Amino acid sequence: MSLWNWINERVDIKSAKNFAFKKKVPVFYGSIWYYLGGVSLFLFIIQVMTGILLILYYQPGSATAFESVKFIVSKVSYGWLIREVHAWSANLFVLFAFLHMFTVFFSKAYRKPREMTWYSGMILLVLALAFGFSGYLLPWNELAFFATKVGSDIAGAFPVVGDFLLRLLRAGDEVTGATLTRFYGIHIALLPAIFTMILGLHLALVQIQGMSIPPELERIPEKHRRYMPFFPDFAIRDALLWLIVLNIIALLAVFFPWELGTKADPLASAPAGIKPEWYFMFMFETLKLIPSHVMFIEGELFGVLLFTFGAIFWFLVPLLDRKAHRGERSRFWKVVGVVLILYMIMMTLWGYIQ
Amino acid sequence: MKVKIILSLFFTTVLFADISDENTCFDCHQLMDEDLEQNEKVFENILEDIHLQVGLSCTDCHGGNSKTDDEDEAMWDDPTFRGKISKIDQPEICGSCHSDPQYMRQFISSVKTDQVSQYWTSQHGKDLKKGVEKVAACTDCHGLHGIIKANDPRSKVYPLNLPTTCSSCHSDLEYMESFGIPTDQYYLYRSSIHGTSLLDEQHLSAPACNDCHGNHGALPPDVVHIGDICGSCHVNNNALFQKSHLNEIFLTRGIGQCEACHGNHGVKSPTDEYLNWEHGAVCVQCHQTGGLPKDLADYFYHSIDSLKGRIKLAQDLLHEAEQKGMEVSDLYFSVEESQKMLIQSRTNIHSFNKEFISKTAEAGFKSADQAIEGASAALFEFNDRRKWLFLSSLIITILATTVYFKIRDLDRRDLRKNKTKGEEDD
Repeated sequence: MSLWNWINERVDIKSAKNFAFKKKVPVFYGSIWYYLGGVSLFLFIIQVMTGILLILYYQPGSATAFESVKFIVSKVSYGWLIREVHAWSANLFVLFAFLHMFTVFFSKAYRKPREMTWYSGMILLVLALAFGFSGYLLPWNELAFFATKVGSDIAGAFPVVGDFLLRLLRAGDEVTGATLTRFYGIHIALLPAIFTMILGLHLALVQIQGMSIPPELERIPEKHRRYMPFFPDFAIRDALLWLIVLNIIALLAVFFPWELGTKADPLASAPAGIKPEWYFMFMFETLKLIPSHVMFIEGELFGVLLFTFGAIFWFLVPLLDRKAHRGERSRFWKVVGVVLILYMIMMTLWGYIQ
Repeated sequence: MKVKIILSLFFTTVLFADISDENTCFDCHQLMDEDLEQNEKVFENILEDIHLQVGLSCTDCHGGNSKTDDEDEAMWDDPTFRGKISKIDQPEICGSCHSDPQYMRQFISSVKTDQVSQYWTSQHGKDLKKGVEKVAACTDCHGLHGIIKANDPRSKVYPLNLPTTCSSCHSDLEYMESFGIPTDQYYLYRSSIHGTSLLDEQHLSAPACNDCHGNHGALPPDVVHIGDICGSCHVNNNALFQKSHLNEIFLTRGIGQCEACHGNHGVKSPTDEYLNWEHGAVCVQCHQTGGLPKDLADYFYHSIDSLKGRIKLAQDLLHEAEQKGMEVSDLYFSVEESQKMLIQSRTNIHSFNKEFISKTAEAGFKSADQAIEGASAALFEFNDRRKWLFLSSLIITILATTVYFKIRDLDRRDLRKNKTKGEEDD
């Protein structure tokens, strides 16, 4: 008796295989965008694998974190590679997650019946950013320390819950070793647990509902639409892209290593030119542009409210874009999307140029 | 600005009024001040005067009675009246308080009271006793009226101001002519390592005139004492020299210990070239013929020079490794250690002992070599990483290419399938 039959007798794996092989993926001019979700998933898998390896040597705590990362990159065999891959794939993960979100937005894939896929995807993006924010502090270097200080200060600007949020994040009034331990717990336990659950839902929805096609293609009769089988045609293309991304990560890891910098010193003054990670740059630059008071609201609070309502607005796009449900494209939402992308790119570049 | 002027005028008036109420000396001398030379003016900076601030008055130094309006009663008929204090009397009059520990303790708990006794041992004091009035007494350095505490940056004897105060006499060619001593001390000191450290970089631990010559007991140091004076700061150098065979020879021949190689007022930051026989070694001043002294100097020079070169190499390699993203920060400890040994070796030169220097230089070489080895290993690893990257990249590329051809195959198969299906449909 083969292993396959042995398993199949117990869990009916055959029907799952049949489902996968019957699954079809639409083929049209924008099919390429389908792969972005897959690449994001691949990068998340890399994160989990490299993250587990890093846990084996990483020691949280203000006296040990920096030293243990130093030990990983200088003494542990291939420790440098694991850290570099973890750091680079984290950045690419956020980049591909953003790209995936915008392609979904412009192809109107959030319209009925896929609203829940959009909502779960948006939660995953926020969690990806939380992964980035919490992971940035873990090497306990100077830049990370002050960037976390500034970042958590912004959280403190929230009305009513600001103080509570600040203390919850920092595990006290200041960024200390306790913050580091808290961020470590959040980064390796809390976020992965939540992320895995939401990701499971997100993938299940994609499997159940299939790939979305743009509204204009929906009008073409079914028999004139082109499809390709998920297995092996689409999967093998996915694999090709994953290999290319893996190659890029390897190149980046060797030629553009992430500097460890100097150990954080809570008593030292902040070094000049503190910058957040690139994916928070547009928000950081926006907050810098807002005057100290906008009407009767404090500038920082205004900025925080602006981004909060902006995120809620973006989250609720499936509810707000009524035209999409009727299978029509809306000029308004197109303009909103383009302006948002341009704004994010320009502000990010501005943050690095100045 | 206007407010400041008004306020200061107000407070000056109030304070003078207060003094004047108790002290009739001010009523007359305030008016007389206008006719006096700038340096004789009584009221010039009087408010800053530490004595006035602690409650002393004119009569405490000059005698007389300050409570009466009558000129004769206040001065000429009063037996305690001293009037203008002559230079020869200054040390004893100032010392009547400053040499009394019990009296002085009411103002400062840990005050020195040996100024006057020290002064009489100084060249200034000795000459004054002989009746030479051109020498410095108390007021020449500390000021006349308006004496400020020595640790106040405005004081004439504050470390940053002291060289100028001493040079006001010692650099005056005409004034110093009768003493027959050089007047270039300040000029030399100003560009020396001590002078630039103190006056330009404002390092208060750098020596001013008094740190070598003494202050109240100021004397040119004897040959025997030069080592001790320099050694009060340069402890190790002095200790090593004292134990060296050269110490005895220097003392016997009356050669100033540190001064012979480093100079005095114009002392410069020493360089390793001091040992370079070909280019201005200081040893040549005495050892013109070469021989053993030259061999020793050459050994010192080459040890130091090689160690410097090795440290530089270690630093360059570490910098290169760091730029390539390698983690080598721990190796900087080895570089620091070798730099420490370099400094120690330079210090040990004062022992003029070959074995002693070779010991520290060897330790320096060992640390520098550790850093060089580590940095080289890091650079080697970087090249190794590139090789492995190339190999793994090649494998991934081959895999990707295979997948690409597989995709093409699948596409062709689908095309054939669709074509067949189309023909069947037709």
